Amino acid sequence: MIDHYLQAFATVLLPQNLLAMVLGSLWGLLAGALPGISTSMGVVLLLSFTYSLSPMTAFVLLIGAYLGGITGGSITSILFGIPGEPSSVPTVIEGHAIAKQGRPAYALWVYLLCSIYGGTFSVVFMIVATPLIASFALRFGPAEYFALTVLGLSVVSGLSGGSMLKGFISCFLGLFLATIGTDGITGEERYTFDTVTLLGGINFVVAMVGLLAVSEIFVEAEEPFKEYKGGVEYRGMLSEFPPFSLFKKYLLTMIRSPIIGTIVGALPGAGATIAAFLAYGEAARTAKHEPEKFGKGAVEGLMAAECANNASTGGSMTILLSLGIPGSNTTAMMIAAFMIHGMQPGPLLLTQRPDIVYGIFASMLLTNLLLLGLTILAIRMFLELNRMPYSIFSAAIMILCVIGAYGLNNSMDDVMLMFAFSLLGYAMRKFDIPVAPCILALVLGDMAELSLRRALLLAGGSPVGLVSSPISVVLLAGALFSILYPMFKKPKMLQGL
Amino acid sequence: MSENGRVVMKKGEIVFSGVCVAFFGFMLFETLDLLGQGRPGEVGSGLWPFMALSVSLVLSLLMLIASVKKYRAAAREGTPELPVEAIAEKRRQRTTVTLSIVTFLAYILVMPWIGFILATLIYILAFALALGERRRWVLAVSPFLVTAVIVGVFAKFITIPFPKGIGVFAEFSRLFY
Repeated sequence: MIDHYLQAFATVLLPQNLLAMVLGSLWGLLAGALPGISTSMGVVLLLSFTYSLSPMTAFVLLIGAYLGGITGGSITSILFGIPGEPSSVPTVIEGHAIAKQGRPAYALWVYLLCSIYGGTFSVVFMIVATPLIASFALRFGPAEYFALTVLGLSVVSGLSGGSMLKGFISCFLGLFLATIGTDGITGEERYTFDTVTLLGGINFVVAMVGLLAVSEIFVEAEEPFKEYKGGVEYRGMLSEFPPFSLFKKYLLTMIRSPIIGTIVGALPGAGATIAAFLAYGEAARTAKHEPEKFGKGAVEGLMAAECANNASTGGSMTILLSLGIPGSNTTAMMIAAFMIHGMQPGPLLLTQRPDIVYGIFASMLLTNLLLLGLTILAIRMFLELNRMPYSIFSAAIMILCVIGAYGLNNSMDDVMLMFAFSLLGYAMRKFDIPVAPCILALVLGDMAELSLRRALLLAGGSPVGLVSSPISVVLLAGALFSILYPMFKKPKMLQGL
Repeated sequence: MSENGRVVMKKGEIVFSGVCVAFFGFMLFETLDLLGQGRPGEVGSGLWPFMALSVSLVLSLLMLIASVKKYRAAAREGTPELPVEAIAEKRRQRTTVTLSIVTFLAYILVMPWIGFILATLIYILAFALALGERRRWVLAVSPFLVTAVIVGVFAKFITIPFPKGIGVFAEFSRLFY
């Protein structure tokens, strides 16, 4: 095992991989820091350019963007009071309040150190937990895999915010879209309407770019022309380094928050935002030192939120690498990246491609450390970029989307398909239909269908085969619970009926 | 959102739900051909999409019913007149989105004819104008700057074979990549 780690670090430290790490992290920080560009948008824009890279370089680049995006979301939150990411809302409440009290550098240091600590904590968890979960998952057959995808999709659809009904419509739409193209088992053409473009199925990257990135720009276009003003004055990071005693004072929060973040991150559909809010709420509830400061600049609240949202990354990646189930849009893109390079994340990956799995561990550890220095150096640059005309910036993003879709097969058909998905994404956003379940279902749909058909085949066509093992029963019961619990807790499914 | 806006939104939601019902219904009809195909003892190609589309159809019908009920409830409550500024703002938002979609579609459509460089140059200018950008220096400098960076990175460095256009446009594109 030590050999694997040494080899992984040696590979990640190759010049081309280090460059990819720096560029990916910078891009992620930028995407996270700029309101209007989400981490998932940042990752999906990079995804299309990873085709020509070696698998390890591609993952180093994408991990940089992922971790950078989660970290960068708090820069504008503290300095401008504008959350770069939804997970940064608690940071706006406490971090911006501290900054407005004349201590922006102090707030930035606390945010940065806690982010890096939370991220590193979750990577250590990932290193320990991934092999354990993967070895357990080796017992999984088609029925268990089908149950696992059902669990993942039901949790994502139920937790995606707003109406559960709309969450499930989005999920089933994604499942349907995943069936378009040639059937992998029978060779039958499905819903291709005799077009060559659809014969190979819908490319995830094309769909993701349209649904996530282009549609987001269309939605953003509705808002009045943006100029972020009224931020606090930033004079650099050289002053106000927080004393070690501060972290000792809030030791319980420093232990509890990354644990919350990692566990929540591992749940499909939860992710950084829920992790940050849960840890923040828990810190507010149990605050012993200056609880009256919550909402007015409580450093403990800032620490809790930042530890948790970064810790969610390791949790999400653990489930992705060990079970092959993405918990969020961003990890769904990681699945797409695996598929682009001819791999399938899941329990077998650890034995088939240990170089990639250990390389991902190593690159996540190193990226977290790199982000500490990179963020400090880049804060001023991002403040300048915030002054860049939004209209030009969004035009550049649109062009990158076109290049991303076109570059896959050098085909304008893919670009047209991306445009169709962007309209679909825009309509979904306008009518509060969450996009995340559709994307996850599109990615997982193929696996769900193949597992179901194989399980039925093994059971001689009997559906009892789907519930013949205790593991699949537990997983399907979990899926049922995740659907029924929110309905009984709050009958959103029947809202308006 | 204003009352009037909410009623308009509900109308839109009804139309959207109706489109969903029609789409899933049509696809489900198409699926009937796939059912029953496949070798004996094998689960055919139609089962999974049939299941997904059946549930989708039922859920979108539920969404349609919910939207109609919400619309009726909102209509019963009445719709107070909106201030002129709010109406103008709403109209501006719609125009901006429509223009941004149309410029993007036009960009994609004309690119194979006039080539990537010219299409990108014109698109940046048109998109910025659609978003309300009026600063002359931004409009004059940015399209050239962004196009130059993009062509330099993606056409020259990564060598993506972008469309060159036809005729004289192709000659122009060949000057750069």
